[in-house]
Amino acid sequence: MIAAQFDYVAPATVEEALAALAEGGDEAKIMAGGQSLLPVMRMRLNAPELVIDLGKIEALRGVRDDGDAIVIGAMTPHSQVATDPLVAEHALLVRRAVVEVADPQVRHRGTFGGALAHADPAGDLGAPALALNAQFVVAGAHGTRAVEAADFFVDLFTTAMEDTEILTEVRIPKHTGWGAHYEKFVRVAHQWPIVAVAAAVRVDGGTIAEARVGLTNMGSTPLRARAVEEALVGKPATDEAVRAAATSAADGTNPPSDLNGDADYRRHLATVLTRRAVLAAAGA
Amino acid sequence: MTVTEDRAETAPKAEVGQARRRKEDQRLITGRTKWTDNIQLPGMLHLAMVRSPFAHARITNIDVEAAKASPNVVSVLTGADVADEQGGLPNAWPITPDQVTPNHPSIAVDRVTFAGEIVAVVVARSAAAARDAVELVDVDYEELPAALDLKEAAEDKVLAHPDLGTNKSALWVFDSETAGSGSGVDAAIEAARDGGIVIEREYRQQRLIPAFMEPRSCVVDPTGDQIVVWTATQIPHILRFLMAAVLGYPESKIRVIAPDVGGGFGGKLQTTPEEWITFMAARRLGKPCKYTESRSESLIAAHHGRDQWQKLTLSAEKDGTVTGLKVELLADLGSYVALMGGGVPVLGAFMYNSIYKFPAYQFNCQTVLTNKTWTDAYRGAGRPEATFAIERIMDELAAEVGVDPMAIREQNWITHEEFPFTSVAGLEYDSGNYEAATEKAKKMFGYDALRAEQEQRRASEDPVQLGIGISTFTEMCGLAPSRILGALDYGAGGWEHASVRMLPTGKVEVLTGSSAHGQGHETAWSQIVADRLGVPFEDVEVLHGDTQIAHKGMDTYGSRSLVVGGEAVIKAADKVIEKAKVIAAHLLEASVDDLEFSGGRFGVKGTDQGLAMAEIALATFAAHNLPDGVEASLDSDATFDPVSFSYPHGTHLCAVEIDTETGAVAMRKYVAVDDIGTIVNPLIVEGQVHGGLVQGIAQALWEEAVHDDAGTLVSASFVDYLVPTAADTISFDTAHTTSPSTTNTLGTKGVGEAGCIASTPAVVNAVVDAIRHFGVNDVQMPCTPARVYKAIHQQDQGGETPTPGGAAPHFDEADVADRSAGATDGAAAQAGDHQ
Amino acid sequence: MELTHTFTVPASIETTWSAFNDIESVAGCFPGAVVTGVDGDDFTGTCKVKLGPVAMVYNGTGTFVEKNEEAKRFVVNAKGKDKRGNGTAGALVTATMTDVGGATEVNVLTELTITGKPAQFGRGVIEDISNKLLGQFVACLEKTVNDGPPEAAEVLTDAAAPVPDDGAGAAGPAAADETATSSDPVASSAASGSAAPAAPTPIRPVPNRQHTADDSLDLGATVLPILARTYGAQALAGLGLLALLIWWIRRD
Repeated sequence: MIAAQFDYVAPATVEEALAALAEGGDEAKIMAGGQSLLPVMRMRLNAPELVIDLGKIEALRGVRDDGDAIVIGAMTPHSQVATDPLVAEHALLVRRAVVEVADPQVRHRGTFGGALAHADPAGDLGAPALALNAQFVVAGAHGTRAVEAADFFVDLFTTAMEDTEILTEVRIPKHTGWGAHYEKFVRVAHQWPIVAVAAAVRVDGGTIAEARVGLTNMGSTPLRARAVEEALVGKPATDEAVRAAATSAADGTNPPSDLNGDADYRRHLATVLTRRAVLAAAGA
Repeated sequence: MTVTEDRAETAPKAEVGQARRRKEDQRLITGRTKWTDNIQLPGMLHLAMVRSPFAHARITNIDVEAAKASPNVVSVLTGADVADEQGGLPNAWPITPDQVTPNHPSIAVDRVTFAGEIVAVVVARSAAAARDAVELVDVDYEELPAALDLKEAAEDKVLAHPDLGTNKSALWVFDSETAGSGSGVDAAIEAARDGGIVIEREYRQQRLIPAFMEPRSCVVDPTGDQIVVWTATQIPHILRFLMAAVLGYPESKIRVIAPDVGGGFGGKLQTTPEEWITFMAARRLGKPCKYTESRSESLIAAHHGRDQWQKLTLSAEKDGTVTGLKVELLADLGSYVALMGGGVPVLGAFMYNSIYKFPAYQFNCQTVLTNKTWTDAYRGAGRPEATFAIERIMDELAAEVGVDPMAIREQNWITHEEFPFTSVAGLEYDSGNYEAATEKAKKMFGYDALRAEQEQRRASEDPVQLGIGISTFTEMCGLAPSRILGALDYGAGGWEHASVRMLPTGKVEVLTGSSAHGQGHETAWSQIVADRLGVPFEDVEVLHGDTQIAHKGMDTYGSRSLVVGGEAVIKAADKVIEKAKVIAAHLLEASVDDLEFSGGRFGVKGTDQGLAMAEIALATFAAHNLPDGVEASLDSDATFDPVSFSYPHGTHLCAVEIDTETGAVAMRKYVAVDDIGTIVNPLIVEGQVHGGLVQGIAQALWEEAVHDDAGTLVSASFVDYLVPTAADTISFDTAHTTSPSTTNTLGTKGVGEAGCIASTPAVVNAVVDAIRHFGVNDVQMPCTPARVYKAIHQQDQGGETPTPGGAAPHFDEADVADRSAGATDGAAAQAGDHQ
Repeated sequence: MELTHTFTVPASIETTWSAFNDIESVAGCFPGAVVTGVDGDDFTGTCKVKLGPVAMVYNGTGTFVEKNEEAKRFVVNAKGKDKRGNGTAGALVTATMTDVGGATEVNVLTELTITGKPAQFGRGVIEDISNKLLGQFVACLEKTVNDGPPEAAEVLTDAAAPVPDDGAGAAGPAAADETATSSDPVASSAASGSAAPAAPTPIRPVPNRQHTADDSLDLGATVLPILARTYGAQALAGLGLLALLIWWIRRD
């Protein structure tokens, strides 16, 4: 488990990082915590010539209030996101999911932006980001641009970012007062989810006024269960109503088959977990 | 007399029985110790292996030129380079005289037989340089058809070793009628088919990986007069002997050191290609060489465990009284016959009958070669398989008779008045009390209340169903009486050696041939010797794992250390006392007969005169005043060969909750009452039980080594090979009953494997019990949520009723397939799951 | 792993056969790949696979083990080894064409074998990747045939065109998608050899992590259309594709 030789830089600013990335070209790799990259390098399934560690860029760390959204710096460790009061108040779903990421060690080294840019369809943060309509702020040689969550996840491990771009922050519209739950189904605690469901709901007088449901590992990207969302609106937050709405959770999904279960089983799980996630989010 | 009584009152509390914290833990936990990979020697070279990606292929060409030219590379070795010197890795246990045993080269020469086999070795000045150059070794292969599925391999459809003409390695049979220990099983089954009960089941023991914490590592220093081998092994003594025997090097010129070793679970009960290669490289190059495997190499190429199909036929009277048991095993050896090899399933041969009074018994084991990683001992080795099968099928019998599974056990087990009891497999169980352990366990468990809750949940069609699993097990451990091993054609004895050395200052050195790798020997042996010699616990130093220090031994496996190695220590200590007594009598000017030894002091009966052991040690060292003809040493050796196995037993009860909507299994309660005889250190025992339980539960629920249809191990990292952590288990309720063994001084029985042996069937029985009312009578291990869910819902999907009503099910293929939802061989499962 | 794909082309079986018989026309469907040599029914090539954190390069060879014009069936056997010794990829691809009322149904059966680390450490993802990859490959084939027999030189130009555009704008994958077309791998490899020094575009033509300046160097125009077509898709392609790529690659 010895990685091939590589050069290492740890720029202090995004600009320096972009310059290093431009210079390194195809043989450069961004490290934003290294919890996925380093194992792969040690197994020599990748051998970049240059590793650009964003860990020294203080500007990319932290959570701030930005009016109608909160902004999470890309290099904020999961552990910090998990305990941040702004996240708890305005993006409870993110908190519910981030505490489920891997194990404590990974949550202290791995970063919020790193995990999202990695775009693992079984990653725990994609579905909540998608469900909450997060915006991804991406810096490149020509400035920054914002990518909507719906456009950000393109395919397995593939985002809308170019190779020359760096994810700097994630803006999450405030969902203050929403209930939230992340229902993760695993066989052992440190596993990637077999399926997980991220649900946030705004309940008004016992009725579901708004609902957001994201699915983890039900396709090559995180997915939005829009049919469920639509079916929930205006319904009472009861087991019966939610159960009915959740039956369409797997519609349009294309889940993988692996040692933990086949696609049909995952489709079934999606409906069960969606019901549970929504009910928990609604406090029912 | 009063003097003696006073002394007894003030004597320190006996060490045996105290929950001493382990002496070794401070250095192990803080890392201030020496693991093999920590060893750095001047001029040391590093090895890295080139491994085959194919399960079966002919090597057509190996181009090593680029690798040789790579910076800091010293040498690249291929199988052809060492063909004349590498010999073959040994199989110490040819289970039958006609066993088919392929030659096992450490580096493949012209053919690779599993994905992960070594085809070339790079030696370089740094580990990184060696690893870099591995990429440059270009091997051309001609792929050959691979024998992967165990059942198909048993039919010789594809040959793992075409030159051998068959995959069938050996057929080992025990028959109670032939052996005279019981009657004929076929007659019993025939009789039961008419008016009795015949239960036929087939169970799958999935392939497992020992997954010890410290990956294997080996350093060989050839620069001295002796070659010194450091290696992360359970068996330094056996390794030394076999290296000498196979590699043709004088045994006296080999010193093997197992420094602190980070776990083994049988996985380091092996002589490995990597050790052989490091030895050869060091000899060739004249420089110290080191090889340390990566975790992925460890999972792929260190030996695997289990991997059997178990076919059982149980006959009984209509009331559930058992009359016969026939076992037909297929055991996957992998591509070579490993050190114990076919001996592993054979170790289960005597345990299928377990604690039950079967009058007739037959065991057939066919070992089979395949193109997968070779298998060998894994915690329990043969006995977990046996215990699983019998405990599972006893539940099936109970279901058939329509009684509580505990009742069927009580009806058939050996009662405590019947000990010593000679089993139908011919073993004499020395002691035990199954009733007592069971009563205690049921009480702790709240058995009746949980049964009531189960009824209630079933009645209310609760989506969460409750299941209760029972495992009333026994095992044979403490390997092993040498005579029995000889009768089984094992290549060595089962004795153990110890020395006790009295130092002039009164400190004691204990040398044990039982080489620990995490068990806590240093603590337990110190407690035993402290009591025996009456010296403080802290004054005892336990030395082990170096053939130059503890020069003689049979090492650690099979729950043998305490019952065999510990007994050797006691015998050596007793010899010290005998020697000291003569000198004490001389110094005290008393008759030996007038001396009594107590609390570390030789006293003259009826007086207050006496000498402490330390005083005698010093006097012996000085040797100024010894009796005529007495040598100036108290040091003593003992080699103990057990007369019998040790038979721990216990009752384990497990409650699981099954989420019928997802198939998820959650542990609700686990009670383990183990009877392991006298306990030396309750804390160490607790650790062994907890670890064993988790390992056994992991087989039931989580772990499985899966190969794809090309023979690649796809569960080759901890991402897919699901070793549980503390987060996945519950708090166990453990307790003990005590039926001291009658075959050793302290009355101890082994505990190293008990938890692992007992827990697997307890969990699976609980899983099946929870969903039996859905028509389920088996779920293949590991009981994944997907498998459990499918088992529950197979009927709503138009599947057959798994258990044909009325009559007991008999073997036929469709039936077997239906019964075990998702039941497939590893390779097939992979293909199937992926459609 | 056995994967089957079927598609129908609105062209006569003869036209379809000839389109497929021209390996160059198919080559463009494999991102990251380049043919390094053709000798009769044998060919050699490389394929660079990048997927998320993984990057591997397979070197391989292939053979047309059967080319049956009568039965309109060809079989290609391709094998490759990872440059870093991480394993092998092999594919036995059988393509069969059937006349269905003037149109042609093409059935592609692929027996794919990935060995070594990608198979060992994939969390099972390798199967999805392979399937997806093949799906994309086949979709591209379909498109290739539908678009008619390629004219290599022009295609090259067309394919190259999007590069600067995309690079500048990070614009849209959608637009690029439409540009997918065929090109001549042999020509492209030759071109890449000579064009290499001229092509160092540091800015990605496509918003895609996989493909890179290096790809454009290696592949020239061949791969760009594909990359542009669906980023992400090609990523997957990586692993399984080796085989495929070889297949298309080759041909004479």
